[in-house]
Amino acid sequence: MSLSLIEAVLLVFVLGCAIGAAVLRDVLAALMAFAAYSLGISIIWVMLEAPDVGLTEAAVGAGIMTILFILALANTVRPQENGLFEPISVRTIALVGAFVVVMLATVPSLPAVGADGAANPVVSGEVTQYYIENAYADTEVHNAVTAVLAAYRGFDTLGEAVVVFSAGVAALTVLRQEVFA
Amino acid sequence: MLELLDSHYNYFAVMLLLGIGLYMLIESRNLVKKVIGMNIFQTGIFLFFITLAFRAGGNPPIIEEGGGPYVSPLPHVLILTAIVVGVSLTAVALALIIRIYTEYGTLDEDKLKQLYYD
Repeated sequence: MSLSLIEAVLLVFVLGCAIGAAVLRDVLAALMAFAAYSLGISIIWVMLEAPDVGLTEAAVGAGIMTILFILALANTVRPQENGLFEPISVRTIALVGAFVVVMLATVPSLPAVGADGAANPVVSGEVTQYYIENAYADTEVHNAVTAVLAAYRGFDTLGEAVVVFSAGVAALTVLRQEVFA
Repeated sequence: MLELLDSHYNYFAVMLLLGIGLYMLIESRNLVKKVIGMNIFQTGIFLFFITLAFRAGGNPPIIEEGGGPYVSPLPHVLILTAIVVGVSLTAVALALIIRIYTEYGTLDEDKLKQLYYD
């Protein structure tokens, strides 16, 4: 599938927001660029037919994450320095550029965006076909993402809950909040 | 090159996002901006997964009679889990940052190094 105009605009928007977050000196401005970036990328998820991921990204990535960052900023400091942009470091650009070039060298061996059949083993693979053919019969849930998340890979989701719980415990321990005292 | 960009556009965006995230992780002196960079790096990898799950003309994987073809649901599930884990990671990182600020009174990496070695 070739690049459509709306996808091109969205990709340029998210890349612009990411670069803005990188070069803006003010932390709050960088944070706002990051929130716009999250919102843009959640629209990209919807364009790629992943509405569940889009909803989660919009609620968690653009919503909760921004609130967490603002809370952290409110409890620390927003350095007031002169100049709108950070100075650009040529040495780091060279290093990151080398990394990006090496990564870009792998792109031609990846399947084209939107490929199916033998060209895209993820879409046509045995596991995907199994889930799509049997998810409704096995779980009676229409949404295959929910079926895989809660039924087939329920243990992974339990592990995810453990991660969230330990993160909460770790954050409270680090902040020395004695909420249970 | 342009043909490759036309057929693999999302992968170019993935690699550029990884680059931007890495740049912020290395170069930002403020610790909060480093965490933002980590999140950008993360979403770059998410874009890679979701793009691999996509097929042209596919529908969201909500199974109906004669509703196909569907995009692959498995990468969506992995990324849903990864988004939530990413938020947990960010929460712990920000809690550490608040503690660092109450201990040292700065979030600047260079000043922190100085204070640490003095």
